[in-house]
Amino acid sequence: MTTNTRTIEKPKPNFETKSWMFMRYSAVLLIPLVFGHLILQDVIVGVHRIDLDYVAMRWASIGWRIYDALLLAFAFAHGVNGIRQVLNDFIQSDQVRKIMHWGLFLLWLIVTAIGAIALIGGVRPIS
Amino acid sequence: MSNLKTTLTGYASYRGREGHYSFLLHRITGLGTALFLIIHILDTSFVYFLPDLYQHAINLYRSTLFGIAEVGLVFCVFFHGVNGLRVAFFDLIAPRLWSVPRQRFSTKITLLITLLMWVPASAIMLYNMLYHNFGWFGG
Repeated sequence: MTTNTRTIEKPKPNFETKSWMFMRYSAVLLIPLVFGHLILQDVIVGVHRIDLDYVAMRWASIGWRIYDALLLAFAFAHGVNGIRQVLNDFIQSDQVRKIMHWGLFLLWLIVTAIGAIALIGGVRPIS
Repeated sequence: MSNLKTTLTGYASYRGREGHYSFLLHRITGLGTALFLIIHILDTSFVYFLPDLYQHAINLYRSTLFGIAEVGLVFCVFFHGVNGLRVAFFDLIAPRLWSVPRQRFSTKITLLITLLMWVPASAIMLYNMLYHNFGWFGG
């Protein structure tokens, strides 16, 4: 019996494949980050004990700032990409999709930039 | 517009049982969390841009209405997280294990784990709300 072998070229992952992978890999990272953030801030500390001083105290530690930077980078990118994937189910026109993709990209860029500036700048005193 | 109708009626009428419900719940909880996240990044950035207004934003979050919404948000995040881990496990690690009975079973386990995390968390959050907003438990 002869065995026929043939090589099948694995298609190069396109943008949608990469975005599909990103959702799953970032999910694994976000589980400890987001669950930890929620359990600590909403359950253990609680919104009634959060104020400007609390944020200042928390951000005095570089570790928490890095934690929040990771949240900002991964959670928000995961969220906006998720919105994009849902909207792609509702929009079939290539042109409208393009507008939607750029709109969401700009939203992501602007909100991430605002968050990053605040995170680096830190808490400013009340005037 | 017809695309919207086709997608929505498809969402509503497809009879995929547990898998379909978990798909829908994953989308709704994800969208809810993402919308809150946009607001949350902006309100937290007040500490740098508008520190005078930060306390106003926090006072809003302390209100009873937002307190109830917070309990809902925590459910959204817990379900989305646990279910996302389930999806990632079957997609990345064990695609060979994928079968309809296993999907039905794992979906139920996902919901159970979510509730086991969510019920105690909401009890504490509701306790805090009753303590601070209604003066219960000596608050």
